[in-house]
Amino acid sequence: MVRALPVFGIGFGAMASRCEIRLAASDETEAHRLAAFAIDEVKRIEAKYSRYRPDTVVSRINAAAGVDWTECDDETLALFAYADALFAASGGRFDITSGVLRRAWNFSQPRVPGAAQLAPLLALIGWGEVQREGQRIRLPRAGMEIDFGGFGKEYAADRAGTILAGLGVTHAYVELGGDIRVLGPQPDGAPWSIGIQHPRAGEGTIAAIEVASGALTTSGDYERYFDAGGRRYCHILDPRSGNSVDCWQSVSVLAPVATAAGSYATIAMLLEDEAIVFLDTAGVAYLAVDRHGQLHSKNVGSVSY
Amino acid sequence: MQLKSPRSILLAALALPGLHGAAHADTPPERGEITLSYLDYQDRQPGLDRIAVHSPSVSILAPVAGVWTLEASLLHDSISGASPRYHTAISGASHMDDSRIAADVRVTRHFSRGSLSVSASRSNENDYLSRALGVQGSIASADQNTSFTFGAGVTNDRINPVNGVVHDERRHTVELMAGVTQVLGVRDIAQFDLTHTDGEGYFSDPYKFLDIRPRSRTENTALLRWNHRFDASGGTSRASYRYYRDTFGIRAHTLSEEYVQPLGGGWTLTPSARLYSQSAASFYFDAVYDPVFGPPSPPNFQFTPGLLITQDQRMAAFGALTLGLKAEKKLGADWVVDVKFEDYQQRAALHLGGTGSPGLAPFYARTWQLSLTRLW
Amino acid sequence: MPIKLLCLCALAGLAGCSLVQPVQPWEKGRLAQPEMTFQGDRMESKNDEHVYASKEAASGGASVGGGGCGCN
Repeated sequence: MVRALPVFGIGFGAMASRCEIRLAASDETEAHRLAAFAIDEVKRIEAKYSRYRPDTVVSRINAAAGVDWTECDDETLALFAYADALFAASGGRFDITSGVLRRAWNFSQPRVPGAAQLAPLLALIGWGEVQREGQRIRLPRAGMEIDFGGFGKEYAADRAGTILAGLGVTHAYVELGGDIRVLGPQPDGAPWSIGIQHPRAGEGTIAAIEVASGALTTSGDYERYFDAGGRRYCHILDPRSGNSVDCWQSVSVLAPVATAAGSYATIAMLLEDEAIVFLDTAGVAYLAVDRHGQLHSKNVGSVSY
Repeated sequence: MQLKSPRSILLAALALPGLHGAAHADTPPERGEITLSYLDYQDRQPGLDRIAVHSPSVSILAPVAGVWTLEASLLHDSISGASPRYHTAISGASHMDDSRIAADVRVTRHFSRGSLSVSASRSNENDYLSRALGVQGSIASADQNTSFTFGAGVTNDRINPVNGVVHDERRHTVELMAGVTQVLGVRDIAQFDLTHTDGEGYFSDPYKFLDIRPRSRTENTALLRWNHRFDASGGTSRASYRYYRDTFGIRAHTLSEEYVQPLGGGWTLTPSARLYSQSAASFYFDAVYDPVFGPPSPPNFQFTPGLLITQDQRMAAFGALTLGLKAEKKLGADWVVDVKFEDYQQRAALHLGGTGSPGLAPFYARTWQLSLTRLW
Repeated sequence: MPIKLLCLCALAGLAGCSLVQPVQPWEKGRLAQPEMTFQGDRMESKNDEHVYASKEAASGGASVGGGGCGCN
């Protein structure tokens, strides 16, 4: 009788989050060797699309805003195509040019920006106006910015997962700060039991979802926020008004890949009252916690994609 | 108000590069490899060693420009020993020392949903020259779960035996193949192939006493293969069954299984087993000899024009069992070394049904294969 | 002839299996492993096939155009 392989957890830091790769391997050395390939890929994506380094493609595009065209490689073009699909499917609410709102919203101070402060920033938002031609892109107005923070972590989780799958790993998951891509169940065949963070209770969990393969991501109002005047203001901002959304404490989505799951969760947060109809139409399984702490869920028994 | 259906998000995500493990029926290999191998083969009958073969070879696989794959190999056989003149009897006159050089090359072009390849091969030894050309192609369904393969090949052989029994004989063979590969689940994939072969020309063995075979041979083969991955152990079972039938009257069944088991530290162990059974050719006559003239004369033998006859044990009814074990070790990311041992025995008693052709001595062979591969 | 009918049914049946529960691209991690493909070690299978073709009457089935061996 063949014994099931032991499971190892390899933790690391990346994309400003605590990350972990959990996989079954014959021994610890092998587990670290395999995880290293996946961690390298996460770090590659983090470095390639960093806003802070002046030589990355993102920084060069932003520096040339209102001025010049920038040539992009195939991976970057594919990510822009995806951003475009999200813009269309969210009715313009998921907009990768909305990062400029960071200049008004500073979550270390509980200060709600006024309309006068937001207006000039709103003028710099508009994915629909970004010019794209073949391999090149141009932001039409100086001060405009694009960044992939809206789905970069989920994309990295999927790419890391694919690399592990290509190495023959079948019992594993890749977790990047709460965005999880599951390659296959635990060695004995049982699904992984993944806890959903309680949006108001710190380290506690509100539910545990069993996932055998696929992805589970959560978008919540507790990551960067402040409370003022009896309501919570969080980092998920509607690009049409510049204001923080205020309908859901968190939305967790299960989908075959983390990139899609993360986008569904974020767009659900942005859609506010229309979120449930959106998620139902999308056909994904979800667990949403509304502003009163009530759970709304669909198909979150044992899930396998 | 949404402009586009929410399902478009999932489809868009799946279109991103490298987001999911892709298994295509014909994914072009990503790494090139060069392999040096050595084969050591020795066969025997009870009390007597027969043929020994020492065969070094080199093979190369090179992906080119992402859409082409080039494969080539070169092999040198040193063959020595004695093969039977009739049935399993050995006479001093049948000793031989031969060397063979074989080369082949294949070029494959990969497309998004299929591939096309052409191949050429040549094998040359002092009494035999074989040249072949082949073309093979595959087309996959949109979801890459089903793939159809088709192939055609032509072979031209020229035989000039050293004993001068015949001179400059030829044989011309055409092969046609069609198959389907089907993904049956996340852990299962199967392949079914049908092959039809038509040969015209010289099929007899000039070194055998009294061997006159038809001048045409049509063969049909059905092959079913099934690979299954076991998650708990990480091992893979590779099973296959082949049914063979030809106009010589021979029907054969081949059942084989190998189990690939990765162990820790870069080791992989693969035990294997193969069961084979064939019926005798319609013109084969048993190792029962004329009571007056003795071996090798068949009882009441009379030569008539158009007579077909063979005493070659390879056309008899028998069964065979192979047991093998292969050990493979990865050395770092770029080197692989492996060694394989196989033990083969051929007996009339192993024939499906229990009784094969009478009077055949059991035949044994053992093979060692050692190879070293460098990946780049 | 019944055997030809059986073969045709096997071919059709195998191809039709995908209708039951198609495997999605993101589930094909295991199938991409070399031991799950039908290629195998080229030199090793060529050597094995050559040994069997010289000692047994049946040959072939997996590929075409491989050429003959000097073992009538």
